[in-house]
Amino acid sequence: MRRRGWTLAAVAAAALFGVQAMAQEPAPAGTEPAGTEATTPAAPLDGATLFMQRTCFACHGKDAKTPILPEYPKLAGQNEAYMVRQITDIKSGARNNGNTAAMQGILHLVNEDEIKALAAYLATLK
Amino acid sequence: MIRNRGIGRLAAATLCGVVALAAPVWAQDAAPKAKGIESEGYQWNQMEGEKVEALTLTGDPKRGEAAFEVCSACHLPNGSGRPDGTFPQLAGQHRTVLIKQIADIRAGRRDNPIMYPFAKTLVDPQELADVAAYIETLPIPPNNGRGPGGDHLKRGEELYKVNCVKCHGPNGEGSMKDFFPVLAGQHYAYLLRQIRDIAGGKRRNANPDMVKLVKDFPDEDLQAVVDYMSRLGWPERTAKPGKQG
Repeated sequence: MRRRGWTLAAVAAAALFGVQAMAQEPAPAGTEPAGTEATTPAAPLDGATLFMQRTCFACHGKDAKTPILPEYPKLAGQNEAYMVRQITDIKSGARNNGNTAAMQGILHLVNEDEIKALAAYLATLK
Repeated sequence: MIRNRGIGRLAAATLCGVVALAAPVWAQDAAPKAKGIESEGYQWNQMEGEKVEALTLTGDPKRGEAAFEVCSACHLPNGSGRPDGTFPQLAGQHRTVLIKQIADIRAGRRDNPIMYPFAKTLVDPQELADVAAYIETLPIPPNNGRGPGGDHLKRGEELYKVNCVKCHGPNGEGSMKDFFPVLAGQHYAYLLRQIRDIAGGKRRNANPDMVKLVKDFPDEDLQAVVDYMSRLGWPERTAKPGKQG
């Protein structure tokens, strides 16, 4: 129940930031089969926006350190290179253990550059 | 409780000396595992557990709106999900279907590692009924992800009329009382992923009648029929163009 209260607060905050950002992004083409690279808008990559738009915050928490399950990692302040490596390996299937099943269902939403931008942003968080 | 049971089984397996095979599987599943279509004696939509409770309770859409905030992180506040099919469109779905699917995910009968922790945040059958009642009131957005279109649409329409219309209706309206989902307004990519999973036995809470119907479809036919489905509209629940639900 404690978790629930937190989640509501996080999503309320996300409604202010993430969803608003999402509304500005053109909708992905309907014909794009799941599993293909996400197309990137021309705007410069902003890790904070990506973290909301690509729904990372839903599981890892808006502050990136309050995951929805205790088995999920805190990302705030994690080493940048380590995160790039893990996300890339999970996406490719090279890493296939732990909770990767949840990540593998959504990692088509980020491409290589976006992964780097996300990791750079998350590493700066305290 | 579920996790404790998992650890208990893990400990038992260790004692028996069969941990080499068993441990990694249990270690990676946050969700429990309930018997599904792969198990002998599987009965589709068996009336048991919290589903029955949630179905008999009266859902309050107002309370459901508050509960839906958790869901809206991925499914968006209007319920539309993503046109690329990563997350399904939910708006206007029958509450019976929503309750069954969430209960199946919670029970571990429909495997969905992304959705599972969120399904678990619903605290009790009343909240399940509330959130389902709220989602059912949302108008179906008319701008869902469509298939590629073209020549195969005619084939898709024929297939739909022969195989699907009886349960899912001419407008893709499904059936609330029979737990058949609304298809109108659903994203092509999501429909395709689900029908492939159903045909291939991966969707473990599937209706065996439907599995029988589609399991021998060549993939081109699955694509054709799903493309046709992605163009269905149900006037009663579809939002007017230009108006977002």
